[in-house]
Amino acid sequence: MAGAGVIDDYLTDLGGRLRGPEHVKEDLLAEARDSLDDAAAAYRDGGLAAAEAQARAVADFGPVDHTARDYQGLLALAHSVRTLWTLIVVLPLARVLWELNLAFWIGSWPSFDGVAPPPAWYLWVARANDSAGWVVAGAALCALVVGRVLARRGVGAAPLARFAGAVAVAGMGFALFGNLSILLATAQLDAARLVMSPPVAAASVVSVLIMLRLTVLARRCVVFASV
Amino acid sequence: MKSDALRGHLDALLLAVLDGGQLHGYAIIEALQRRSGGALDLPTGTVYPALRRLETAGLVSGEWSTVGGRRRRTYRLTKAGQRALAAERTAWHEFTTAIEGVLGGGPWPARA
Repeated sequence: MAGAGVIDDYLTDLGGRLRGPEHVKEDLLAEARDSLDDAAAAYRDGGLAAAEAQARAVADFGPVDHTARDYQGLLALAHSVRTLWTLIVVLPLARVLWELNLAFWIGSWPSFDGVAPPPAWYLWVARANDSAGWVVAGAALCALVVGRVLARRGVGAAPLARFAGAVAVAGMGFALFGNLSILLATAQLDAARLVMSPPVAAASVVSVLIMLRLTVLARRCVVFASV
Repeated sequence: MKSDALRGHLDALLLAVLDGGQLHGYAIIEALQRRSGGALDLPTGTVYPALRRLETAGLVSGEWSTVGGRRRRTYRLTKAGQRALAAERTAWHEFTTAIEGVLGGGPWPARA
């Protein structure tokens, strides 16, 4: 059928312009196809030939540039919301598991030289790192609440996605900086402590990898919102 | 009617159409056109992002279901959506009453 190509071409063009979670993209395109098929059927029922009916349906749907801009905002928002929930769950969970792992293999953290407590600057870095996951998770939760309020006030999907992306990137920057800082600080004071317990060292490596992965997800929030 | 003028009211219009019950996207578009006497002539592609945004805001809920033998994504008002619609209707009535008082009453009475 000649007219089938009009809708197919439109959806292929639209799909090719969109970047974001594949399942959300497929969901949006499936719904768009339903709408275009319905509109084409209505025009056919009104007496138009198939090709003309589908061309009219596509024209009614709007220029692909405008449609792609709106749909891209939705994709960016979907990715951002999912990323914020991931931060809320994964960061505190990773922190708790790391602490439990430490307690299981080493017990209480001994002082660095066996007598004197660690220097004040090290304790400051350690406390910042200990709290980073919880602070970022809290910020992500606040961003979700604020985002929902803004959505109810009519703020568009793309600005909401940029807001969520900014919170996610800033939060992961803070968490990653805290994680790397404590590793470097410990290496500076007592490098042997980093490999004192292989399971704890492995957990630290896994923690850094998790942080890097979350940072990539956070960065994609901004990338998808900027397409 | 200009689509730019409609965009500012699109959320409220969609909530109002869904007040009658669960509908799929194209049925929502048909209802908008029918209830406006054909005056609401938005690109249909703008309606779906608006519905998804309302879903993100928790004002409507959407799900895929089988309607008339076809799988379709249908939408319904949530409790928060019903409250938002009531607030929109109140605000709209206050607005139209005020404007009608100025525009709809004919010439302002001349001073005695």
